[in-house]
Amino acid sequence: MTDKMLPHLQADGLCVAREGRELLHGLRMEIPRGSFVAIVGPSGIGKSSLLACLAGLIPPASGEIAYRCRGNCTHSPEGFRCKLGVVFQHLRLNPNCTVETNVLCGLLGQRPSWKTLWGFRAGDRQKCRALLERFRLSGLAQEMVGSLSGGERQRVAISRALIAAPEVVLADEPVSQLDPRLAAEVLDSLKKDARDSGSTTICALHDPGLVERLADFTLTITGNSESGWTFKSQCRA
Amino acid sequence: MDVQEPVSGLRPVRRRSPWDAPRVTLILLLASAVISLPALRGSGRSLDYLANLKRFVDRFWPPDFSILPSIAPALWETFQIAILATLASAALAVPIAAAASANISPRPLVLATRFFLSAVRSIPSLIWALLAVAVFGANALAGVVALIFYSLGYLGKFFSDSFESADPGVAEALRVSGADRLQAFQFGIWPHARPLVWSHALWMLEYNLRSAAIIGYVGAGGIGVWLHTYQEFYQWDKFATVLLIILIAVLLLDAAGSRVRRHLAPVNELPANGD
Repeated sequence: MTDKMLPHLQADGLCVAREGRELLHGLRMEIPRGSFVAIVGPSGIGKSSLLACLAGLIPPASGEIAYRCRGNCTHSPEGFRCKLGVVFQHLRLNPNCTVETNVLCGLLGQRPSWKTLWGFRAGDRQKCRALLERFRLSGLAQEMVGSLSGGERQRVAISRALIAAPEVVLADEPVSQLDPRLAAEVLDSLKKDARDSGSTTICALHDPGLVERLADFTLTITGNSESGWTFKSQCRA
Repeated sequence: MDVQEPVSGLRPVRRRSPWDAPRVTLILLLASAVISLPALRGSGRSLDYLANLKRFVDRFWPPDFSILPSIAPALWETFQIAILATLASAALAVPIAAAASANISPRPLVLATRFFLSAVRSIPSLIWALLAVAVFGANALAGVVALIFYSLGYLGKFFSDSFESADPGVAEALRVSGADRLQAFQFGIWPHARPLVWSHALWMLEYNLRSAAIIGYVGAGGIGVWLHTYQEFYQWDKFATVLLIILIAVLLLDAAGSRVRRHLAPVNELPANGD
C-alpha cells in the first residue's frame, strides 16, 4: 500500500459523549490524505463534538483516533496538534488583539515561546499578509478583532487555522456567516489546498449545495433509532 | 437509508430555588449584624459625644499653611514610596497571580499561592511597616518594602481574578494548535487581562498613596512622619494642614486614575454570530 493510499485519519469504534450524553457510537472511518470531507447532520446531533474529539479537545468515550503524518507515523490527536488547523464554530479569537496578531497565533505551535516572547518575525508577518489578501482582509490587518463583522471574523479564524500550513484542517461550520459567493470562494480555497498540498479538510457543513459540489466524502450523522446510530460514508472521488 | 430525527433532548425545566446564594448571603449578613449589636455598648461612662467632637475639631481650625515649605519634600517622598512600591509589587504580582489562577496553573500550585496571598493580605500595612523599619531602619526604603508586601497580597488576588475572567476558549484554541502554556498565556489570556491589570495597578497606586501617608507614623518615611510629629506635640492646626494636603493629593490622583481607567476596558467576548 502506498503512502497516498494509507489513511490520513483513522477512527475505530469511536464513541463521543458530552456531559454524560452519548452523541456518537461506534464510528469507523478512514480518511485518505488530501480529501475534503463534509460532516453533515441536523443541529445538535454531534458534529461539533466529533470535531472537538478529533482535535483532542474532548477525549473519546471509547475507541481510537489515529493521525498519520507525512513520515508515516501514527499520532494521537494530542500528539498531532502542531499539524492541526482548527476553525471553531464560535471562532475563539482574541477580541483584544489585532487581526494580524490573531492570525499569527496560528504559528505558535511551530515557534518556541522564547521566539515569540517579543512578537513575531518579519517573515511570519509577510506570510500573514499574503493570507489576509487571499481572504480579502488585507486592509484590516491592524484592526482589533472586536471591531470586525461576523463574516470578517470568520475569515480571520480560517486564516489563523491555515497560516501554519496544517496537514489536517478541522473546520466547524467555517462559512456560516459568509454570503454564498464568498462562502463558495473560501471553501474552494480550502479544497484547492487539499488538492495541491495533500492536506485533509474535515468540515461540518449545512449547505447541501456546497457539500454536493466540494465533498470527496460525506459523513452523515443521523439520529438515534431503535437500530442504533447510523453513519453513511459516501465516496465521491 | 433511514434518516431518523435526532432525540429532541428535552430536559425538565429546573425551577430557581428561593434559597439562592445572594439571598442566603444577605440573610446571614443581617443575622450577623444583629448578633454583633451588643458590641456598641460603649465605655459605660456618660459622655457628651457632640461636645467632645466639637472641642476636638475646633483645634483643627484654621489650618496652619506656614508649614507647607517644610512638608513639601515629605509629600514628594510619599509619592516616591507609593510609585516605587506599586511598580515593584505589580511586576512581582503578575507571575504570582498566574500561579494562583486555576485556568493557568495546576491545582496544588493554585492552592499554595492563594494561601500565600491570603496570608500576606491579612497583615495590615502598618504591621508590614513596623517589620520593615525593624529590618531596614526608619527611612523611605522601609516604607517601599512594607508597601510592596502589602500591595502584593491585593494585586496578586486582583490580577489572578483578571486572568481567570478571560474567555478560556481563546487560550484553549491556541493550545489545540500546539502553543505551549506560556504562549497560551501571552496571546490568549494576557491581552484580555492587560487593561484590567493596569486598572488594578492604578487603583493600588491611589491606595498606596494613602498608605504611604500613614506608615510614616512608625518611621517608614513620607508625610506620615509629620503627622506623627504634630500629633505628639498637639499641634492640631498643622496636623489639619497635612491631612488637607493628603486629601488633595489623593483626590487629584483619583481623578487622573479614573480618566485613564475609562480607556482601559477590555472587550470581553465576541458574539457568536458576529454582527
